[in-house]
Amino acid sequence: MSTVATPNVAVRRDTPAGRTRVIGAIMSLMALFIFWVFAMGATATASSIISFNPLNLSGGAPWHLANVTLPSRMSALVLAVIALAIGLETIIRVPASRVMARFGFVSVLFLLGLFVWTVRSGGPSPTNFIDITDVLVNASGITMVLIFGSMSGIMCERAGVVNIAIEGQFLGGAFIGAIVASSTNSFLLATFAGAAVGAVLGWVLAFFAIRYRSDQVIVGVVLVTMIASLTNFLNLTFLTPFQQYNTGVTPNSIPIPLLDKIPIIGPLLFNQDMFFYMMYVLVAGMSFALFKTKWGLRVRAVGEHPQAAATVGIRVKGVRYFNVILGGAIGGVGGVAFIALHGQFNPGFTSGLGYIALAAVIFGRWRPSGAVVASIIFGLTSMLASGLQSFNVPVSSEILGMFPYIITIAVVSGLIGRVRAPAADGIPYKQD
Amino acid sequence: MSENKTSLWQRYLSANPVTMSFLAIFLGFVVGAAVIIFSSSDVLHAWTQIFNSPGAIFHAIKVTLDNVGAAYRAMFTGSVFDPTILWHALTTGQDWTAALTPISETLTYAAPLVIISIGVAISFETGLFNIGANGQAILGGIAGTAFGSMIHLPMILHLPLTLACGVAAGAFYGFIPGMLKALTGAHEVIVTLMLNYVVAYFLLYSLLSTPLQLPGQANDLSRVILPSAQLPTFFATATTLRVNWGILIAIGVVAFGWWFLNRSTLGFDFRITGANPNAARASGINPKKIIMYVFLISGGLAGLAGVVQVDGTTHSLDGGFLIGSAGIGFTAITVSLLGRNKPINVFWGAILFSALGVGGRIMQAETGIPLDLATIIQSAVVLFVATPVMVQEIFRLRAGTLHTVELNTKGWSS
Repeated sequence: MSTVATPNVAVRRDTPAGRTRVIGAIMSLMALFIFWVFAMGATATASSIISFNPLNLSGGAPWHLANVTLPSRMSALVLAVIALAIGLETIIRVPASRVMARFGFVSVLFLLGLFVWTVRSGGPSPTNFIDITDVLVNASGITMVLIFGSMSGIMCERAGVVNIAIEGQFLGGAFIGAIVASSTNSFLLATFAGAAVGAVLGWVLAFFAIRYRSDQVIVGVVLVTMIASLTNFLNLTFLTPFQQYNTGVTPNSIPIPLLDKIPIIGPLLFNQDMFFYMMYVLVAGMSFALFKTKWGLRVRAVGEHPQAAATVGIRVKGVRYFNVILGGAIGGVGGVAFIALHGQFNPGFTSGLGYIALAAVIFGRWRPSGAVVASIIFGLTSMLASGLQSFNVPVSSEILGMFPYIITIAVVSGLIGRVRAPAADGIPYKQD
Repeated sequence: MSENKTSLWQRYLSANPVTMSFLAIFLGFVVGAAVIIFSSSDVLHAWTQIFNSPGAIFHAIKVTLDNVGAAYRAMFTGSVFDPTILWHALTTGQDWTAALTPISETLTYAAPLVIISIGVAISFETGLFNIGANGQAILGGIAGTAFGSMIHLPMILHLPLTLACGVAAGAFYGFIPGMLKALTGAHEVIVTLMLNYVVAYFLLYSLLSTPLQLPGQANDLSRVILPSAQLPTFFATATTLRVNWGILIAIGVVAFGWWFLNRSTLGFDFRITGANPNAARASGINPKKIIMYVFLISGGLAGLAGVVQVDGTTHSLDGGFLIGSAGIGFTAITVSLLGRNKPINVFWGAILFSALGVGGRIMQAETGIPLDLATIIQSAVVLFVATPVMVQEIFRLRAGTLHTVELNTKGWSS
């Protein structure tokens, strides 16, 4: 990238000014969409009910919150006005920071507008209420898998190896996870098995990328193709005749006492399966390890400038092997988490989640916290694509299915554009 | 011992591209054999018995060879020619065309694969990674089917315009990632992958909604392309021989690809950009323009491949169009890597991989080994092609004038 640094820059911008204005324009368009479709699409007398109490009370009910009945058109109108105000403010003032926070807020407004419009009385929806807790809980599963995948990506890419094979690690982990969980009924063992398979796949990627300095994108794509066809193959030769190894067991959710009673947050964050809690530890651990420890400093040095790292005595290849194998193991666990969500193994059922996780890595600018935010956005979109169908939205399910992918493209191109990856990311290291 | 003179035999043994490609293919088949062995309970059972009796080890070897041999024999007879059918035809003197069916099928499937692989090779040669060829081909197929089935024209106009529709749709769909990369810097790998999923949904949508769906049909089937727009077959009398003009188009595309990359000004700019983007920029080549042109051309060829596929063989679309076990676009990546982006080599690579795919179907029917084995072999071959140093080490070859297949897509920040 050849951006010339101007000497007297008054403010340090997170996002360039031009792109900030574009984002402002996008937010204003979203506001207009809320106005035209969501506000004008509802009759003046229509009302929408928002509820907060989960329909599924298997893990114990949280404290009760009353339903909120909103006038559909007026609420959407208010949302549109707020969104438009933020959009215009961004265009006119061009704020130096918190542009993405503004965008996130407008996206939430957009979602609320969508909910209000979807369940308006007199509309096509069979139920005239939408449950916020259920929406979030349904989205949390995909989000969790995406977070595992993006942590795998960050682990590899911070050390300078592009991990485009996350999809393959998902599939491999899910396959072995289904077998182990079905035969032993223990998801802990399945996790170990998935981590082992993921680590092996990570080792293969590392072996070709480090030992033979092959093009990492090619090796990654080929690995995904190979694992996808291998799991298809083994699914036909092994899982189809021996169905006792693919029974579709799912783990129980583990409620955290007291915390799970908090409305919305309780069912969402503190009444999930073990993989969810594993994810907390993983994200916290990686944020700390990468940015606060000596090990993290070494990893980042290897990813930014391996020659310099080697000069001060860091074993570049060793660090890369370790990180890629560890990243592969995390991806494998992500696959087990996916099978825990999905139940049965089906060939190719991750349908590009690994690539979306990669987009989350880039969107999150190679930081665990950023990747979590990106994963939440993608998770919500994926959920909406499948979840909105039950409300008889007048958009065909095939068009809704495109949404997560289109949003990913929009995010990758419109919101982030040129990003600064770890400087040595994807470049084979040659010892001179 | 003279240093400079090497015998012809030694030159064969050195790591030259042809030898390396053959060794990579050989290793790919070895990997495939390993997969067959480890997934077949008969073979594994035979090997567990080897200590029970003195002759058991020979039995185990025999079972292994039988299983692997049966699979690869079925692949060969299903894709090249079947000696027993030929013998039968010669002795009885009837229906000799059946002996040609396997090779006809291979060429039928090779036609779109050649075209799409040339497109992918052009993008690779420029250092851009077009993983979206599959989606571009599907959109080309949809556009071609729509034009070919719903417009009535004389053949002299209808057929070329149908093909042109496919090219235009593919080029449009390729232009999206090209434009996004040039204007906003969005990485083409992610954008093209996402567009593949988008078009898969669009295919289902268009097959299930009014204009394109076969009237009176509830399933995901499209209208049938009119005879005036279909690619004619070579043998009108023998209906089992489906080989059609598509293979001629494919040969034309190979010639175009060779001319474009080696003789044209734009192709030269492409290759310079791929070899050294900084040098290209310094010599006045506009990288943004190049990116957009590459994706236009690559996408256009992918679209042509899609329309040739539907126009030459099935004449209508269904929900599984071009998706298969890995998708034609992914096979095209492997083919162009195998052919090292040289159009003529890509042609032979496409024939080989098409034979693997066609033979794989016969293998699945005859031995029950899933078709996915063909994809496993293909991806293994590419892994070995992408790492020539490893193949060199395995066979202890002398170092030759060989470079690793490298792309210029390395970093994320273009």
